[in-house]
Amino acid sequence: MASCLHQHDCEEHECAGDWSLFKNIDIPGVTALNEAIEESAKSVFKPWEQRLDLSTVLASNDDDPELIVFIPFTTDVKIKSICIIGGVDGSSPSKMRAFLNREDIDFSQANDLTPIQEWELAENIRGELEYTTKYAKFQGVASVTLHFPQNFGANATRLHYIGFRGEATKVRSLLSRPSSLIRVDWRNFPS
Amino acid sequence: MIENVGKNSSNPLLHSSKLFFSVRQSCPKNRVSRTKTHNCRSFSSSEASLRSDRLCASIAPSPSFQFPSPASANMVLEATMVCMDNSEWMRNGDYVPTRFQAQADAINLICGAKTQSNPENTVGVLTMAGKGPRVLITPTNDLGKILQALHGLEVGGEMSMISGVQVAQLALKHRQNKHQRQRIVLFAGSPVLSEKKTLESMGKKLKKNNVALDIVSFGEDDGEKVEKLEALLNAVNSNDNSHIVHIPGGDRVLSDVLISSSIFTGDGEGGSGFAAAAAASAAAAAVGGGGGAYDFGVDPNLDPELALALRVSMEEERARQEAAMKRSAEDSTAKGQQAGESSSVPDVAMSDAAPVKITDKSSDMMIDDDTALLEQALAMSMAEAAQAAAAAGGGAAVTDTSMAESGGDDQDLAYALQMSMQEAAAAATAAQGSADVNQVLGDQSFVSSVLSSLPGVDPNDPSVRDVLASLQAEEEEKNEDQAGKDKSK
Repeated sequence: MASCLHQHDCEEHECAGDWSLFKNIDIPGVTALNEAIEESAKSVFKPWEQRLDLSTVLASNDDDPELIVFIPFTTDVKIKSICIIGGVDGSSPSKMRAFLNREDIDFSQANDLTPIQEWELAENIRGELEYTTKYAKFQGVASVTLHFPQNFGANATRLHYIGFRGEATKVRSLLSRPSSLIRVDWRNFPS
Repeated sequence: MIENVGKNSSNPLLHSSKLFFSVRQSCPKNRVSRTKTHNCRSFSSSEASLRSDRLCASIAPSPSFQFPSPASANMVLEATMVCMDNSEWMRNGDYVPTRFQAQADAINLICGAKTQSNPENTVGVLTMAGKGPRVLITPTNDLGKILQALHGLEVGGEMSMISGVQVAQLALKHRQNKHQRQRIVLFAGSPVLSEKKTLESMGKKLKKNNVALDIVSFGEDDGEKVEKLEALLNAVNSNDNSHIVHIPGGDRVLSDVLISSSIFTGDGEGGSGFAAAAAASAAAAAVGGGGGAYDFGVDPNLDPELALALRVSMEEERARQEAAMKRSAEDSTAKGQQAGESSSVPDVAMSDAAPVKITDKSSDMMIDDDTALLEQALAMSMAEAAQAAAAAGGGAAVTDTSMAESGGDDQDLAYALQMSMQEAAAAATAAQGSADVNQVLGDQSFVSSVLSSLPGVDPNDPSVRDVLASLQAEEEEKNEDQAGKDKSK
């Protein structure tokens, strides 16, 4: 539940380098549950510089503010902090629960299992807040599932940006999802 | 089915025909629940005739030819749970032979279609009536096991749709391959007892968990059923991934109607080759239409193997022709090669036509059509060879001897060579024309007289003189180079 404020002007300081985990996100493997538009979850993963671009939206279905986003990484990473930019007018999520290295989280499981860590979020339209993790628990992360159970009162939850800060290792554990492998078309097999 | 493929040669047409025939063979063996092999036989014979129709139209490539990538064919990875209605209402005979049998056939078809469209797809079956929902088989890609599980089922009890769908959802949740999408196919034959609101909330829950739902509504209709099922569909539907089909009773066979419906053709760009070819046969019988105006006249959705094979052979043909053209264009003394190229191109066409012939010989219905087709194909390739030869004829000095050599081969070839000679002559005159122009420019006196006649140009102007001097210098250089070259030769 810790958060820190960016009180400096980010362009000068090159914060972008710290958000290098964007390059480690396996974007084609990102999936979400209860999203209103299919595949819209992939759009909220962008470089740090574009975090304030409000044109990319991951919205939940109307009348249902819950969202689950599954984010695989291409290599194992260590996550220091997470930045969430939500929507306006109460559509920003108010809580976040994270599960690590599990592919099978759906809504029933998300509500039953204890997450690795939970945060109370604030409305963060300018992206100045980061939520730090219990770093010792976030080592060797091949995938993270974020569950947003509530928002600040709107009908639907909206997210504009999700960013991770941390370190990438060169290791790719067995748990990680090989979505970047080429889909083999079985018809191309000779004889 | 896949094992058969492994023994084949690499020819795609053979490959596709083997697949087709292996499906045919496996069909009657696995018909455990019916003596009448109605569906299977009708598919095979009508598909064969359809294939011959398509081949007639297929050889001439359409002007709007394009190469869709193989990946664009429907390859959605999916796990499907089929919810079967085995309640007392299924004893009724208003579908042929009984509702239950018709349903079982339809389920056979769906399983076959799903597993064929992508071999990693899995299908499972559960029954909804009786003491409660009972999973007959969890999602598997083994068609034999599925068909075995459908054997020896009994009818009785009342159906509970809500719990049936919930159990299906649970079965899908525990699928082995988490990357598969989730789909439930619900056969709703008995009246729907649940409330509309309950159905809608169930639909929303399915949508929330990314489960698609296909509803086959048949059998009893108590007025509200259609409305309730439509409401359920609207709740589940997200980006058109869910469909509903209403099949009233009567003379029509449930499976046939189902095949041509959106449940088979509505997943993405189309259903599998197996089911969709059967759909085409049913549709063709009803409408009398063919495969539509697609490339090759073969709908890639209806018959992806055939379309792919034709596309591949066309591609190879074009690649060979382009290579042939390039080679003969580069070679300046190409006369022998031209004859060689033109004769090799029809060889290639023959070899491409040959596999078509082989596969078709194995099917009795197609021989007559195909001899005509082969001749057509050869004529086409001859014409193309002629074009290729003509285009490649630039700059080559084709003599009468080469004409005589290849004149024996074919009338078209001779004509092609004649055309190429004419082109060569034209090219030569064009080259000569430009050479003349250079000579003219080199003649300084002529140039200066021309310049003086031009208004506003003074031949004594230093800049004009510089230009003339440079022209002359170029001319001299060229002559020197030529002389140098001749010397070195």
